Amino acid sequence: MTEAKSDIHLYTDQTANGIKISMLLEELGVPYKVTAIDISKNTQKEPWFLEINPNGRIPALTDTFTDGSPIRLFESGSIMQYLVDRYDTEHKVSYPRGTREYWEVNNWLFWQMGGLGPMQGQANHFARYAPEKIQYAIDRYQNETRRLYRVMETQLSKSTSGYLVGDKCTVADLACWGWVAGSNWAGVSLDDFPHLNAWLDRVLARPGVERGRHVPKKHTALENRHKTEEEMDKEAGKTRAWVQQSMAADAKK
Amino acid sequence: MAAPYPPKPIRIWVTPPGPNPWKAVFLFEELGLNYELKPFRFDDVKKKPFIDVNPNGRTPAIEDPNTNLTLWESGAIYQYVIEVYDKENRLAYDSFHERHLCNQWLHFQMSGQGPYWGQAGWFQHLHHEKIPSAVERYCNEIRRVLGVIERVLADKPADAQWLVGNKMTFADMAWLPWNFRLSEVMLLSWDEVWEGLPHVRAWHEKMAALPSWQRCIEIRGRLMEAQGLQWNGVPKGIETFTEYEKKIAEGEDTTALQH
Repeated sequence: MTEAKSDIHLYTDQTANGIKISMLLEELGVPYKVTAIDISKNTQKEPWFLEINPNGRIPALTDTFTDGSPIRLFESGSIMQYLVDRYDTEHKVSYPRGTREYWEVNNWLFWQMGGLGPMQGQANHFARYAPEKIQYAIDRYQNETRRLYRVMETQLSKSTSGYLVGDKCTVADLACWGWVAGSNWAGVSLDDFPHLNAWLDRVLARPGVERGRHVPKKHTALENRHKTEEEMDKEAGKTRAWVQQSMAADAKK
Repeated sequence: MAAPYPPKPIRIWVTPPGPNPWKAVFLFEELGLNYELKPFRFDDVKKKPFIDVNPNGRTPAIEDPNTNLTLWESGAIYQYVIEVYDKENRLAYDSFHERHLCNQWLHFQMSGQGPYWGQAGWFQHLHHEKIPSAVERYCNEIRRVLGVIERVLADKPADAQWLVGNKMTFADMAWLPWNFRLSEVMLLSWDEVWEGLPHVRAWHEKMAALPSWQRCIEIRGRLMEAQGLQWNGVPKGIETFTEYEKKIAEGEDTTALQH
């Protein structure tokens, strides 16, 4: 084989989107380098980073492509598709291209990217970071997050493997996991979702997930399950200021 | 006339008002594929038979009798149609590098455009109370995302004003249906929408002028009319979206109100 050697470099922070990639890389057992990006310091808005991701968001990834020149990737869903396409030749967490399961995994991956992530993200914003408490907006996004959990719950209740598609854990599960693990931060309880709860633990029990979720630093979202609303609100206060600042900065561009 | 391709028509489930179903139809039209529309009312997205097609109760969804596959989420539908039916790579690349870059922009559209344009539209038009900070939040995000594309296109040569490579791909097309609604979403004139975004505007308008998209507009118009809908998707005879949602929840037949 003349294929150029891979040289994966992941630029990430401890977020639901960031850990998708490190968990996947660990599941695949592919070596990679990590640069921790401190989003609270807006490192992701620096020119060198924008060269990798013009959108100024983590995660981003660079690799040496098969032709020997570098490739830059952004958007966690697209990075996941790239990684399994190139490195999951044994189909540990994916299905062969063109199979029914391959396309069904895509349903859930895009569902997470276009639905669960953005909507739960808005719940986080209005419940934790917005300068004013707008009850309507909090309710809107928490209800939508709950609706989306219900869709997952129904799917998992019908699954014989306990995973979203087919007979194994796939990138669809890995993409959703960090978000569901962060449900309490969005102010949504998993109490009414027994299958989702069991799935959360099932995925968590995977050694690759356990290693990957702590990249680039400790994953603490699950600990919020034992915190009160007041405690989480107090913690959010620390980040609220920079969220406001970066929003203001973005609005000027 | 050439034989229809694929041999059996692919069914596309659409509710006419929103942009996402038209994103799917746009691709089918542009590739000249054999498809049939299954238009139905927004009132029925959470009911049988559609909820069995897409458990998430959102359009578009497709049923392909040629491969016996049902799919939902417009991005997943895009990747499927391109891989299975764009054999000549008219709207894609077969090279690995470009293939993934196209997917990158498609994912960005799915996570970065659709949800935020949608929230802006919601707070601008459909929600019953005015919450300026919410409208501002989402309009700012629209500006930011369009700015990202502006910088990317501005850095590319004049004969390659597309997101990937030097031709239009599905990654460009995915952005069109929501951008087409920007005047409404932002409550701005067409010129105001594109202020400071000349490259994005040219890119958008080139696609909007395609016969395939023009057909989408025309079909959408007909279906809106047939379902008796106002421009914002609310049936004629109903004042607000809130009222519409209430009637749906109560199981009221909203078609009856038009007569």
